[in-house]
Amino acid sequence: MAFFSDERTTELRDLFFESAQELLQALNDEGLELERRPHDPGIVRNIRRTVHTLKGDSAACGFRELSELAHEMEEALTPDIAEKADGNLVELVLHAADSFDCLLTAYRGKAAPPRTDHVRDMIRRLTEPAKPQDDGGLQVEFAWNEYEQLLIEQGASTGAPIYNVAVEVDAQCPMRMAALQLLKNAFQAMGTILAVRPEGEMLPDSVAVIRAVLASFQPMETIEKKIQVPSITRRTLLENYLRPGQSRDGIVSRATSSIASPSPAIALPAPSVETSTAETAKPVGDHSLPAFLPQEDSAPDAGEETRVATSFSTAPENLLRVDAERIDTVLNLVGELIIGKSMLNQTLSDFGKLNPKDPMRGKFADAMAFQAQVLNELQRAVMKIRMVPVEQLFRRFPRIVRDVARANGKQCELILEGQNTDLDKSILDALAEPLMHLVRNAVDHGIELPAERVAAGKNAMGTLKLNAYYQGNQVVIELSDDGNGIDRERVVAKAIAANLLSDKEAEKLTESEALNLIFRPGLSTASQVTEISGRGMGMDIVESVLRRLKGNISIQTERGRGTTFQLRVPLTLAIMQALLFRVANRLYAVPLGSVVEIARTTPQRIHTVDRHEVLQLRDQIITLVRLDQLEDKKPPAAACPNKLFVVVVNLGERRFGLVVDKLEGEEELVIKALEDQLVATDLVSGASILGDGTVVLILNVAAVVERLGRSVSGGGSRKLGALA
Amino acid sequence: MRVNPIRVLVIDDSALMRKMITQMLQRDASIEVVGTAMDGTFGLKKIEELRPDVVTLDLEMPEMDGLEVLRHIAKHNAVPVIVVSSHSTHGAMKTFQALQWGAFDFVAKPQQNAALTIESIAEELIAKIKVAGVSRKPKVAVTTVDAERIQPVRKPTRPATNTRTSPSRVVAIGISTGGPNALLYLLSQLPADFPGTILVVQHMPEGFTQMFSNRLDSACAIEVKEAQSGDLLLAGRALICPGNRHMRVRHMPMGDVVVLSDDDRVNGHRPSADVLFYSVAKEFRAKALGLIMTGMGEDGADGIGAIKEAGGLAVAQDEASSVVFGMPKVAIERGNVNRVVSLDALANLLQAQCAVQRASSFD
Repeated sequence: MAFFSDERTTELRDLFFESAQELLQALNDEGLELERRPHDPGIVRNIRRTVHTLKGDSAACGFRELSELAHEMEEALTPDIAEKADGNLVELVLHAADSFDCLLTAYRGKAAPPRTDHVRDMIRRLTEPAKPQDDGGLQVEFAWNEYEQLLIEQGASTGAPIYNVAVEVDAQCPMRMAALQLLKNAFQAMGTILAVRPEGEMLPDSVAVIRAVLASFQPMETIEKKIQVPSITRRTLLENYLRPGQSRDGIVSRATSSIASPSPAIALPAPSVETSTAETAKPVGDHSLPAFLPQEDSAPDAGEETRVATSFSTAPENLLRVDAERIDTVLNLVGELIIGKSMLNQTLSDFGKLNPKDPMRGKFADAMAFQAQVLNELQRAVMKIRMVPVEQLFRRFPRIVRDVARANGKQCELILEGQNTDLDKSILDALAEPLMHLVRNAVDHGIELPAERVAAGKNAMGTLKLNAYYQGNQVVIELSDDGNGIDRERVVAKAIAANLLSDKEAEKLTESEALNLIFRPGLSTASQVTEISGRGMGMDIVESVLRRLKGNISIQTERGRGTTFQLRVPLTLAIMQALLFRVANRLYAVPLGSVVEIARTTPQRIHTVDRHEVLQLRDQIITLVRLDQLEDKKPPAAACPNKLFVVVVNLGERRFGLVVDKLEGEEELVIKALEDQLVATDLVSGASILGDGTVVLILNVAAVVERLGRSVSGGGSRKLGALA
Repeated sequence: MRVNPIRVLVIDDSALMRKMITQMLQRDASIEVVGTAMDGTFGLKKIEELRPDVVTLDLEMPEMDGLEVLRHIAKHNAVPVIVVSSHSTHGAMKTFQALQWGAFDFVAKPQQNAALTIESIAEELIAKIKVAGVSRKPKVAVTTVDAERIQPVRKPTRPATNTRTSPSRVVAIGISTGGPNALLYLLSQLPADFPGTILVVQHMPEGFTQMFSNRLDSACAIEVKEAQSGDLLLAGRALICPGNRHMRVRHMPMGDVVVLSDDDRVNGHRPSADVLFYSVAKEFRAKALGLIMTGMGEDGADGIGAIKEAGGLAVAQDEASSVVFGMPKVAIERGNVNRVVSLDALANLLQAQCAVQRASSFD
């Protein structure tokens, strides 16, 4: 694309890859759609249009292999062929989508494009009518141009029978140079050559078959014998000359398969052979010319000088494609602004304390309120840019489910729900891998074979459901199957076998702790390792990704009924509403979205049940978590204040109460990512800076509860916490 | 010219193409891309809104495809449309339908050898937009053909080539923008026993000429065929030069044939009308009849002079019936033409000229 400047070329290339990826996704979707409704001509039309656009785009960017393959494919996608092809077309579309994908990957990595022969073969099988069985005999089409036909007809007027003769020259022929002349001599010994291709004295390297029209009174057997020139002739074809438009009826055709074993004369079945209507490729037409016609070598097009772009007018584009980094920059600046806002707020309230009567206070406050409002909108607008519907992620799964199910002889349908739920793009991207793994696992391990399902009284077709919805400022992505469920005992047994825990520890495991074992590295419960999953890695990666995203994953399973994975991730990673409070004089924050209510209580109302501190809140019993246990040193018991605050948080289906000393208020926090090395614990998911410069730690509620809330205080909990 | 740039709307469902076409056009100061649209529905809305001077239109689009857009445009807004189409059997078919429905012209999307074709396509597109933009309102008068006309003609089964007669005269036609409709109009008026032979260089990219020839053949009484090397010049036959090749003629002992070649572009064109005209003038002298028809540029303007010089008849299509009065105008200006004739009168002229046993000289 020397036509455009480098920068423009790169831009166009990027745009190409991006839109090609979208086209591939569409192609996959359409392929699956076609599988459901194989005879819908509308779908075939859509597929053709998708392939068409892909062809055009890739050709424009100079990706030849891709555009050629797409071109072949497009030409094959006629309604006629779709009608005949049935299921084969679905296979073709999906395989082609894969091949396109491979090609794109190769182009992107500037690697050599992979071969796509299998797709081409599939196309050919669809488009080419069934050929008569190849018996090893030479098959040649004779297409003489009009002038040659004229010469042939003139030769025919002598009354001699006319034959089409083709001789395939042996590839190992030691005297290739002379082959053409020797064969011509052989022809001439039997009659008159009316036309011959190739012309000239020497056999061009590219030509393997010599064709001629021979007028001869010799019987066919003799001619066939005479053209078997030792060490030159490999196979031959001899048949009556066929006039254009003439039916093959009554045409005698003899083909030999090789010189060693000349096969008996074979009269080809006589289907209504059409005249080869000059559909030969361009070069063939050329070389077929008699030598006395002028033939100039083809010269490459003269490159025209690239004109220098003189002016740039800007054309309006509806869609703007922006590098995610640029949006992040804006988002960071908005974050700084929000910190600035709280600094101003702080200053204003300090000012108010010093000058409670100053009339400027009210004006400041008004201006502040206005600014805060605009800032809120700005932030929301910027956040919105980053939000994309989870559909972008979900839409690739139907194909995966189909392929995995097929590979395993299972039947499975995938139901997608909540595709319109928006999620931060970076989170969505990070979720792709884990979710892919879970989905593969669910089909591979979760869904049973059709026979097993029927035996268990279930529908042979398994159901997989992928759902997304908001919960507070979190997004929940739920994957449930109606398969076999996870066998808790087997998980535990495997964990023991893999030395992940001792028998003793195993006894103490709660149900969810046992299930969570599958997130440990090196544990796979598939009784048979398959290609798709079950390599004993993956689930631990799934879990670590979610932890990195400040989210979590939980499992619910029922033997024989199925399994549900719940992935919770924050809506965004950048800014959040938080509740600030103090425990043991330290400032903490929790996401406001996870806070259900704040209750006041006294130490007297806290009871200990089964070595857990609990609080009865109206008709609910809530397990309490004491954050001061996070500190290594025990707080002085005497310091227990009379008044306590309990922040009730929601975690999955359960509620926990965080016992705090003092509430500090609600604040919008700009989360500053903490380097992994800085934080040795997963209890803190980030930090933020307040207006007055104070640093606040944002708690990872799930991890805190996991460590402190579910088990008794004491040595054992630490260990289990580390394990989970 | 700078005062009023030609305002162009780009309709294409491929984001890449929208961008690429826009960037191609931005290189020319006299063209301004005022908007882009990703499908037909949007396209029509934007035509209403932006009132562009010229529209570039992709035919293969979801929702409302290009042909439907054309139909709307023909009915409601008379804006010249340049179809940007790609090479495929299906695409070529639609392209000719589009031309028949009033599209001004078409350019082929870039194909494999990208660096070269993008440049030439950009130039071609810019040139065509400028011509279309100047005309501002499309000429529909003679060049659109009634749908009824395009009915498959039942042809008599043709005798084998060797029994057919050699032509009385050799008509060489050079034609470009506006050509598909004009040729359809002209050739469909010739009877099956037309005694001359017709050789056509229509500027058209590779891959479109086969379909174009088939289309003409089905609508005409004479035989129309994409030329192959070795094809005979026969009475009642028109040979269309394939895209990206040159066509010449050659006397042979048994008859006259066409020869195709891959020589360099002439006047930036392959096929080039000049190549055909010079060759026909040299081989057929006074038996040659050159016809230079609608189209921009000056391809053929010199070559047709060689036909005049050799004693043949050199004819140019007149301005009123030409979609673009470029090539004929230059030929007339250079004094290379014997007659200027309207498209309506051309069929009669050819019949009269070819019916004559010996062509008279026009010096």
